[in-house]
Amino acid sequence: MTDAVQPGDGGAPALGEARIDGRRLRSERTRRLIIEAYIALVRETGRMPTAAQIAERAGYSVRSIFERFPDLTALRVAVTDYSIAEARANGALRDLDADRLTRIRSQVTQRGGGCERWLPLWRVLSSDLSGAPDLQQRIGMIRQLIVMRMEMMFRPELSSVSDAVRKKIMLALEALLDFESWARMRELYGLSFEEACAVWVKAIDRLLPQTPA
Amino acid sequence: MSTSAPVVDGRRLRSERTRQLIIEAYLSLLRDSTQVPTSAQIAERAGYSVRSVFERFPDLMSLRIAATDHAFSLGTANAQLRDLNGDRATRIRSQVETRARTCETWLPMWRALNINQGDSDELRSRVRLARELIYRRLELMYQPELSTLSEPMRRYTLIALEALTDFESWGRMRENYGLTIEEAREVWIRTIDRLLPATPAE
Repeated sequence: MTDAVQPGDGGAPALGEARIDGRRLRSERTRRLIIEAYIALVRETGRMPTAAQIAERAGYSVRSIFERFPDLTALRVAVTDYSIAEARANGALRDLDADRLTRIRSQVTQRGGGCERWLPLWRVLSSDLSGAPDLQQRIGMIRQLIVMRMEMMFRPELSSVSDAVRKKIMLALEALLDFESWARMRELYGLSFEEACAVWVKAIDRLLPQTPA
Repeated sequence: MSTSAPVVDGRRLRSERTRQLIIEAYLSLLRDSTQVPTSAQIAERAGYSVRSVFERFPDLMSLRIAATDHAFSLGTANAQLRDLNGDRATRIRSQVETRARTCETWLPMWRALNINQGDSDELRSRVRLARELIYRRLELMYQPELSTLSEPMRRYTLIALEALTDFESWGRMRENYGLTIEEAREVWIRTIDRLLPATPAE
């Protein structure tokens, strides 16, 4: 680094690069703050925010938003990517080799926590997918990740049944552990986090085949 | 007096028919597209002017509420409780057939209702009522099995059954996984059978 800024030996281009890097970093930071503003607004209101609201929350102009995202759909896609990355970082698989009940509880606690955290955003992002193929693809990917996780967590039990039965079980588990299933337990039936987890634990235990010895 | 009464009634009947056709146009547009229909689209589909739509409904929310009520009355009429006293397998099959038919017919309407419910207390109350009816129906159909459970377990089982036979559960099986109606029903039948406790002996 020190050598790079010595006069007469290529210091000027390096300084230029540093400037560009600084600009890029600032731009990247602005982009991230816009995404975080979007997420914060959705969590507060449960509604899709307007460009003006996002700009105000992020502390930038509306123009700044559209310099980084061609339209609000592109911003929704970026918000989805950011959320997937964060959810994956915080949702490491745990207790994979544990006994049946521990694995069920681990999966339910993790999924319940995920629903609790991401439900408002999930509702906004998945509410109107018409004309947004990129978003449709990502919503499909989130669903796939949820299913893959369950397949890994319950591999011992699922490996003991035929493909056709396994598919039926997975469809049932996916419906059971859906975001809106969680939402109804919490919002409509007034269940606490622990009670809602208990509903899922009991139901999964009944739906899964016997654990092989 | 005696001649004007039929004239008024005829007018009222025509107006009621127009209202009904507007509601049906709204519902048919929902079936064709995931987009919430505009007043222009509804008017075009019904064969009336936009003005005619707003002469009968002060705004689109009133039309949504009227369409929801119409759908509920049709849905309820076509979902009479059957086989209440049948054996376990008959009751499960009967319940699944009715629920599947309801989901197949009313899924687009249900989605539109859920998208718009945030804007209206009246729509929210109808969503809540629909869910209560589904819950009560499950409670009646599986009363013998549920009666063997303690109170929290009975409620937990009903909540799980409701989640498993939700509209979107049906939508995913049919749209995302491409299951036929019969295949999707089989998934539900198997799932309900596993979730329910053993049927008590007579």
